[in-house]
Amino acid sequence: MAREIEPGFYWIYEGGPDRSEMFAAEGSSPAWANPDEAVYIPQCAYLLCGEEESLLLDTLSPAGSDHILDELEALLDGDGLDYLVVSHPDVPHAGNTLAILDAYPDATLVAPRYGDDHELYRLDDALRVGEGDEIDLGGYVVAFHEATFLDAPVSLWMSERTTDTLFPIDWLGFPHGESEALQFVDELDAPLGDDRLVQFHGRVLFWHQYVDVSKVKREIDRLIATHEPEQLAPAHGLVVRREATEQMTRMKGVVEEIERRDRIGTLG
Amino acid sequence: MPATIPLTGGVRWINECFAHEDAHEHVSVYLIETETAAILIDSGSFYHREAIAERIDQATGGDGPEAIVLSHSDYPHAGNISTIRDRWDDVELVASSGSPELQGLSDAQRCTIGDSRTVLDRRFSFVDPPLADRSHTAWIYDHGSGVLFTADGFGSYHEPADCDRTSRQFEDNVPRETIYQYHANNLAWLRYVDPEKLEAALASIFETYDISYVAPIHGHPISGRELPEFTNRLVDVAGCIASEYEVPEP
Repeated sequence: MAREIEPGFYWIYEGGPDRSEMFAAEGSSPAWANPDEAVYIPQCAYLLCGEEESLLLDTLSPAGSDHILDELEALLDGDGLDYLVVSHPDVPHAGNTLAILDAYPDATLVAPRYGDDHELYRLDDALRVGEGDEIDLGGYVVAFHEATFLDAPVSLWMSERTTDTLFPIDWLGFPHGESEALQFVDELDAPLGDDRLVQFHGRVLFWHQYVDVSKVKREIDRLIATHEPEQLAPAHGLVVRREATEQMTRMKGVVEEIERRDRIGTLG
Repeated sequence: MPATIPLTGGVRWINECFAHEDAHEHVSVYLIETETAAILIDSGSFYHREAIAERIDQATGGDGPEAIVLSHSDYPHAGNISTIRDRWDDVELVASSGSPELQGLSDAQRCTIGDSRTVLDRRFSFVDPPLADRSHTAWIYDHGSGVLFTADGFGSYHEPADCDRTSRQFEDNVPRETIYQYHANNLAWLRYVDPEKLEAALASIFETYDISYVAPIHGHPISGRELPEFTNRLVDVAGCIASEYEVPEP
């Protein structure tokens, strides 16, 4: 499944397993979900086809190997892939790196310059990028950033200049119902509640239980002021086309809630 | 280098290292010899694939492990599962991942963080880890030996001459600076940590479990005798990492 966000800018989606039983088993069946449908916390990859070159951010999970290769074949329509960016070497993000490079052997592998264990992730030969680095695809220009809220130390975030899209990878994800797959947040029947953000971040970025909340809030303010994005394209949620900075601001309340609770659960 | 370094209660350390420019980082696995079988904790990195397989072979008299218990599916921990299962038949895989198919572990038996289960003839508890990076990481407590396997937590870098040392072989415990360098480089979120919250979470674990050794994948095994001082250094290091990071002005 894929959706075009802007001309040549594609959202490639893998729903993964139905999470409704996970929520139910933990006694937290979400009020926002339709009880008759599946609940997903997706893996998302993004393909940017510029006038001159193309770039794929992340690879979906090993379970989505055929899916990502089929989507790339259809969306590139016979053209090659120029850049494969691995945001971080976590299996659901990087699990199809070798398969994609086998299919597109001329693609340049791009990896974070942060962290110090690249050889242990087979990223030692990658083009290493970080804050200040850009790739001009012709029409689209991507910029790379040090990841702020992350799991693996070898991590990056990305933005796209012409659409003011921020790709915050493991930050700003949330679960959704089956009928909401590939919808933009502004297309949902009901407003996105904080509970969805708490459920995701309390699992994936569980370490918020142990933080100085006021410091994290200051970091969120800095991110908003630094990026001022128009759109958000997370790796584990739906794309936000409107009121992106408001969505980021809401995370301050989400962090407070995670810190207040015991461990919500796990994911992955 | 010995095939394994004995710790306690049938737990043996298989220590491999990755060399950074000025220090080494352990990328270890642990082998538990029970009365009837061998259980491997994590599988190591592909980077050490042949060495780990050979050392397991030597330690088990060629029989290999009958089970692998995985702390999480990060590549340096899960990089040799296929190799081990190809070399030895019927190796049971137990992992804390809630979505094993997404992690490339499609036939793993799931263990749940907070629960206990018996693997072969050994009882394990899967502990919610206050020091980890990936969401599905579990610390693994072996009730038979009292060893707590802490995955990415409690690590440290080391000098090339110190590869085989446990905490007991240091005159004054594991050096604070090596604990600092490891955690600063590998657990980036510590820049936001409230060290009192971390200390309380660790204390709660230590009150719950009778620990003979803490066994990190990326550091020296720490015996119960040195654990209180190591923990003091670790909490102090976490506080330093946090205090050194000021949120930049936009």
